Amino acid sequence: MSWILHRVDDRLIHGQVLIAWGQRLNPRRIVVADDASAADSWERELLQSAAPDSEVSVWTIAQAAAGYAAEAAAPGTAFLLVRNLQSALALVEAGAAIPSFTLGGLHYAPGKIKVNEYLYLDERDRAAARSLLARGVALLAQDVPASRPLPLRELVPELAAS
Amino acid sequence: MVPALLVMHADLSAALLRAAAQVYGEVQGVATMSNEGLSKEALEAEIEDRVEGWREGGLVFTDFFGGSCHLCGLRAAREHGDIVVVSGLNLPILLDYLHNRDKFGVRELAERLQKKGQDSIRLQFPSAA
Repeated sequence: MSWILHRVDDRLIHGQVLIAWGQRLNPRRIVVADDASAADSWERELLQSAAPDSEVSVWTIAQAAAGYAAEAAAPGTAFLLVRNLQSALALVEAGAAIPSFTLGGLHYAPGKIKVNEYLYLDERDRAAARSLLARGVALLAQDVPASRPLPLRELVPELAAS
Repeated sequence: MVPALLVMHADLSAALLRAAAQVYGEVQGVATMSNEGLSKEALEAEIEDRVEGWREGGLVFTDFFGGSCHLCGLRAAREHGDIVVVSGLNLPILLDYLHNRDKFGVRELAERLQKKGQDSIRLQFPSAA
């Protein structure tokens, strides 16, 4: 059982994850794979306090890649959260056999181009997306369970050939 | 006076303040903002901009525990003195804040508001009478 959602979202843990996805799928564990959060004990405690219904682990990308297979075989269910496509790619390159990512929130920043209401990508993001697709990792845009998942390829024309 | 910032989803902050003004009268000194379209870092920076001038602390009101408004409110307030983040804001809490922001210190006021908010939710069964 274990992994039931791999989500790319620059807010990491927040309302959509806890309420929309969390109350629908009730994960036993939430793994935040993020080097900056893992390096900050205050931030780790904050994230661990934010989801009282799940056990939250805050791991570095390297720790998450190393622990991915064991968690995949563990009883119960788990969410994996990363903040951007570069982290998603780093996890896969480090050996985590992740079949797909759900892109739930990559917000506007200077230089980023709008894909839809909740996804904005720059060239680095698109390069990471191309590498993930080339490795056979599916990328789906979906912010909440009630919205229809759409392949990123259909939303970003230049990825169609990837 | 204990200053306040409302950080909530969509248009809730501005709408709640407008509703409060209809009951209380004109409201001054309360800032409102939305998390809409903002990354974690951008939301944190926008909140920090609004609270860093608070000399003696203040209250950051958010809509629900665990949401981005709440978590980024905590992150933004981390190094800015005596700030209490109050999640689960409703109209009775906001009205009680407006009536009492001159009478209490930050923590005492926050504890009072927590109790007021909890007491504001009542169940009644009109058909059972």
